[in-house]
Amino acid sequence: MTDPLPWLILLPLLWATGAFLLGPARGARLALAGTAVQLWLAFALAAKVSSAGTALHHPVGGWGAPLGIDLAADGLAALLLILTQFVALPLFLYARAYFAGKSPAFWPLAGFLLAGMNALFLSADLFNLYVTLELVGLAAVGLVAMGGGAQQLAAALRYLFATLVGSGLYLLGVALIYGVFGTVSITALTPLVTADAPPAVWFAAGLMLAGLMAKTALFPFHYWLPPAHGGAPAPVSALLSALVVKASFYLILRLWLHPFAPLTQVAAWLPALLGGAAILWGSWQAIRAERLKELVAWSTVAQLGYLFLIFPLLGADRLALHAGGMQVVAHGLAKAAMFAAVGVLIQVTGRDAVADVAGVAARLPVTLFAFGLAGITLMGLPPSGGFLAKWMLIDAALLRGRWDMVVVILAGGLLAAVYVFRVLRQAFLLPSSGERRRVERRPVATLEWTAFALAAASVLVGLRGMEILRLLEAGT
Amino acid sequence: MKRFAVALLAALFAVALIAALLELPAPAVDLPAAVGAKMAESGIAHPVTAVLLNFRGYDTLLEIGVLLLALIVVLAVAAREEAKQPAVADPVLQTLARIAAPLMLLAAVYLLWAGAFRPGGAFQAGAVLAAAAVLLHLAGLAAAWQKPGKCLRIGLAAGFLVFLAVAAGLLVEGALLQYPPAWAGALILLIEATLTVSLGLILAGLFLFLS
Repeated sequence: MTDPLPWLILLPLLWATGAFLLGPARGARLALAGTAVQLWLAFALAAKVSSAGTALHHPVGGWGAPLGIDLAADGLAALLLILTQFVALPLFLYARAYFAGKSPAFWPLAGFLLAGMNALFLSADLFNLYVTLELVGLAAVGLVAMGGGAQQLAAALRYLFATLVGSGLYLLGVALIYGVFGTVSITALTPLVTADAPPAVWFAAGLMLAGLMAKTALFPFHYWLPPAHGGAPAPVSALLSALVVKASFYLILRLWLHPFAPLTQVAAWLPALLGGAAILWGSWQAIRAERLKELVAWSTVAQLGYLFLIFPLLGADRLALHAGGMQVVAHGLAKAAMFAAVGVLIQVTGRDAVADVAGVAARLPVTLFAFGLAGITLMGLPPSGGFLAKWMLIDAALLRGRWDMVVVILAGGLLAAVYVFRVLRQAFLLPSSGERRRVERRPVATLEWTAFALAAASVLVGLRGMEILRLLEAGT
Repeated sequence: MKRFAVALLAALFAVALIAALLELPAPAVDLPAAVGAKMAESGIAHPVTAVLLNFRGYDTLLEIGVLLLALIVVLAVAAREEAKQPAVADPVLQTLARIAAPLMLLAAVYLLWAGAFRPGGAFQAGAVLAAAAVLLHLAGLAAAWQKPGKCLRIGLAAGFLVFLAVAAGLLVEGALLQYPPAWAGALILLIEATLTVSLGLILAGLFLFLS
């Protein structure tokens, strides 16, 4: 195991196939062991990238781009790799206890999902990126559809449609790029793409970025997200909301920074405008949501909006890039924790409604504490990772005199407080007498404590902010 | 009104796409020439197969993963326990299917063999195998598939696993999927042969698990 890069892709593929061979509902231990090794590999890769200070390359097949495919890892890729394995490991523990052997296909699908995401973070080839997008999208749709009723299948089909349209647009863009330049290697394309590129290149960049925005559920392409994330089983919602939407965002950021930088300057206000709208609309819908999971899913729509605010602020001071990286990490941890906590609440109360959590505070203190801690990160209170992200974002906006953005960021934080406290307030109320008589299941300790660990990490990551920012400096 | 708007948008999109395509400059990078220059080291005599399994073999590895994944999704959504009897089809179709199936098997083997030096290879051969299975099912000669047992699961995953094992094994010497030129031909043949069987099963499964 000299080079961690290829193993981060091969290992999840191996355990996913192993879990498929073992048969329905088997393979949890294989998955946990594999993910633990992947986490170690991701940290090893980050250490290598930091000490090298530049991106590491791995020429697949030994050919080297443009003939072959290159894998590349810079600080941003290493950060997302760590986040992915770090969130997946507790969520897999959670899923093992949650499904208790009743999920025919969770482990192979989860393995392919992780393999696709790791491959996406590491690829430096536009066409190879398309293949990884397909892996991620198909695995995610399968996880939403898996063993569900008609409503869940409908949500999965909507999701499939959105993700296929997104990757279709991306593929059309890649074809145009290949037609103009004769190569799909990002490294080879970066010096070739200039502001006086032929119209086909502008068209291609527009198609690719629009397709990826649809996959990231940026307002107004968000329509598929609440039913898909709100309808899936809790561990699946957590994986999708915390990690999968970040994969396509990562790709947008990557393309924006590298081959398309000369083209994107003119339209940098557009993603920020949509992001601002997403913050306000998503928070408003979360405040009005009747169901718990729906509330958390709409909160994802809102929190993704912050990621798109960084585009007009990207510049030499790198403040906006740091804010984006921090927000990805903080939201990934907090949203995984929140869906995990909500999963426990639903299992114990037997119903997915905000109104039904009344009285939960006395019976599920750990879970409710986890929900509250995750809420602190989403609201952006110190010392959480969310606070650091929003602080840097406001700083970057002020430096460029963008008061409008500061207002949206602050308003988003207040609205997040409203929907988080809506649940917390309800949890401290006494249940009505009819509610009390209902037979309730006892919570599973593993579920409670994995949710708590993720929530605690989302707050504490703010204290390790310097390490994260230093990692982002390496070759990004 | 809505239809009109959608049609107008689609037409505008098509016009923009055609306009962009009409002004394509000459590519800055000449990949076909690069492929030609390295053909001798690839272990394959046909450029398409060389690109698919050697120069961009990593794409193909992940694509096989996508196909296996699609099958797993189908099984997760639609696997059923009980056997379904095939519908009785007309005797002419049955006779034709009986004649065609062995010939299709032969054609699949030919396509696999031909892939080394002319258009063909594992994907095409696997597709013909799957078509033979679907034809036998439609003619009422073979039952639809139920939940896969151990043997079928091994068959479905074997091609992908062999490909993964080769990719991982080659890491000892160099990069991912870096075939040593002397072994390239033999390793690629091994991968293609197991892939043909697995792809045939996967593609047939996508139809037969659902029908």
